Amino acid sequence: MSLLQVQEVTMRFGGLIAVNDLSLEIGRGQILGLIGPNGAGKSTAFNCVAGLYKPTEGRILFDGEDVTGQKPWDLCKKGLARTFQIVKPFQSMTVLDNVTVGAFAVTDHRDEARDRAMEVLRLLGMGGKGRALPGSLTIADRKRLEIARALATDPKLLLLDEVMAGLRPTEVDEMIDIIRALRERGMTIFVIEHIMRAIMALSDEIVVIHFGQKICRGKPEQVARDENVIKAYLGENYGTA
Amino acid sequence: MTQQEFKRNCLIAVTLAAFALPLVVRSATYLHILIILYLYAYMTTTWNLVGGFAGVLPLGHSVFVGIGAYTSTILWLQYGISPWIGMLVGAVLAAGVGYLIGKPTLKMRGAYFALSTMAFVEGIRVMVENIDMLGPLKLNGPRGLNIPPLQMGEGSFWAFQFSSKEPYYYIILTMLVAVLAMTSAISRSKMGYYLKSGGEDPDAAQALGVNVARYKVAAMVISSFLTALAGTFLAQLTLFIYPKSVLTLDLSFELAFIALIGGRGSIAGPIIGALLLRPVTEFSRIYFSATLPGLHLIILGVVLIVVMLYQPRGLTEPLLRIFDKVAARFAPALPDTPDTPDTPDTPDSPDSPNSPDSPNLPDTPDAPAGPDTQGTPAAPGATASASPREERP
Ligand SMILES: Nc1ncnc2c1ncn2[C@@H]1O[C@H](COP(=O)(O)OP(=O)(O)O)[C@@H](O)[C@H]1O
Ligand SMILES: [Mg+2]
Repeated sequence: MSLLQVQEVTMRFGGLIAVNDLSLEIGRGQILGLIGPNGAGKSTAFNCVAGLYKPTEGRILFDGEDVTGQKPWDLCKKGLARTFQIVKPFQSMTVLDNVTVGAFAVTDHRDEARDRAMEVLRLLGMGGKGRALPGSLTIADRKRLEIARALATDPKLLLLDEVMAGLRPTEVDEMIDIIRALRERGMTIFVIEHIMRAIMALSDEIVVIHFGQKICRGKPEQVARDENVIKAYLGENYGTA
Repeated sequence: MTQQEFKRNCLIAVTLAAFALPLVVRSATYLHILIILYLYAYMTTTWNLVGGFAGVLPLGHSVFVGIGAYTSTILWLQYGISPWIGMLVGAVLAAGVGYLIGKPTLKMRGAYFALSTMAFVEGIRVMVENIDMLGPLKLNGPRGLNIPPLQMGEGSFWAFQFSSKEPYYYIILTMLVAVLAMTSAISRSKMGYYLKSGGEDPDAAQALGVNVARYKVAAMVISSFLTALAGTFLAQLTLFIYPKSVLTLDLSFELAFIALIGGRGSIAGPIIGALLLRPVTEFSRIYFSATLPGLHLIILGVVLIVVMLYQPRGLTEPLLRIFDKVAARFAPALPDTPDTPDTPDTPDSPDSPNSPDSPNLPDTPDAPAGPDTQGTPAAPGATASASPREERP
């Protein structure tokens, strides 16, 4: 049985249909990529899955349970964690404290939470930056902090929204390694990414959406050859692909 | 001696000194001033649980002071129930009211919560001023309630009345130390982390498993409960309460001012704020209460503007930094976090690594800049003041 099933989900903002009748599923231990031109509705789809928005129509099943419309904090406790495309660190808290907030989803004890947070930071190569404030971090580290906080909640499914945007090529390679390492630990990952080389290298399968609608699903090499996909990217948003 | 130990010893020394102070300070007037100072530090600390940790701006906390004061006083006057018990009853009532105010408003963002707390305290004050009897309970409208003093020179623990200032001093000091220990424990706990993160970025906090609204309401309930205890203390200290003394925006604003100027969300902020600002209020009340009754709020407003411009996190932060330097001279720093330095450590931030309480919330919603908007110029001697008891109207 798949870990996440999105069934015919539609999300409207007033007259705007941001996600249109989207269905997809992710098997356990899989990495599913979600791509599409800017404004295609990728982040909105994430927000529906993570409980930030209640979909206008459709259902979302997580781990076999209908979780449509459930609140983000409840979903988090059930094992669903996400990052935000525009990172949202707690600016006045140290890096370690930021991650500790996430770790409190697993334990009520501060010392355990801090140990766990430290562990996660080390895993992401940020072990020496626990005392820094987020404002002093590089973009790459801010993205990692975003992932670290999510990981600290001990998720089964991790939603990553453009964690490589704005990174230098070497940093992108590091991030690819990190995500692969997470999958090796058994995590299921749903990833939105604009950097084609990264998403091609990472994903078991890729879903392409355009104007909120799924236009293609398949293995990376299939998707790369798909006529609709090429049209969607080259037609409207040549520069962003 | 490590730096941590040095700081802890300083803290213990200050606490002991505070407890020993009445041995040196014999004058009732000075003791009274200290009592009022501690009382304000206490009320600001309980305010801070919501206004500092949870990142919202309560502007009606005097309603809880009023509930505490009226509850224990009515129970004592009409039923002979000890104010100590009345204190607890009032606190429970206040917690209920805090829940009722917080539950619907703390879900909303921005100024709604601040506005509803203001509206609430004003509403209650106007009601109390216009009600003489509430069912069997005598509120006595705008004239307020007098607690008849026990016979001259007599003190009674049960009646919460003492013939000298010392017992009041020790009671409020104990309350202050207890509430400081409690907020400090909360700020280091899961609840502290959750309140702080939820106050800073609710979306991010919720995604990390924080039910932001629920934690804010919990903080509000705890804060209301503790604030009401101060109300009973105030009633027993002055033996006279009336709507304009315990149910005013004046008092509510002053608590917010003290917290914002001292350092919102920090443990020491309310104390430093009260130490620095209470004299301003006392001074302006003693010398200008007849001619310029709202002057202290204007002064506080101006101080707030200046502080926010130069030290947006309040005055505690720079003071603590100085204290850190002093501590560093007396004791070597401790390698306190087991960080593996796989990357060079970033320059030390001013925040100590293991406390979510020292940094404050960055964006303070607009605070009221003056008393003009509140429509209730403080009556001379309104709210707790250091003026001796005999001066009351
Ligand atoms: N909260 C919102 N309110 C109104 N419109 C929104 C909201 N969030 C996203 N949208 C709109 O939905 C569309 C899809 O946005 P988004 O999901 O962010 O795209 P993507 O992540 O694929 O770039 C855009 O047209 C965007 O303006
Ligand atoms: Mg997006």
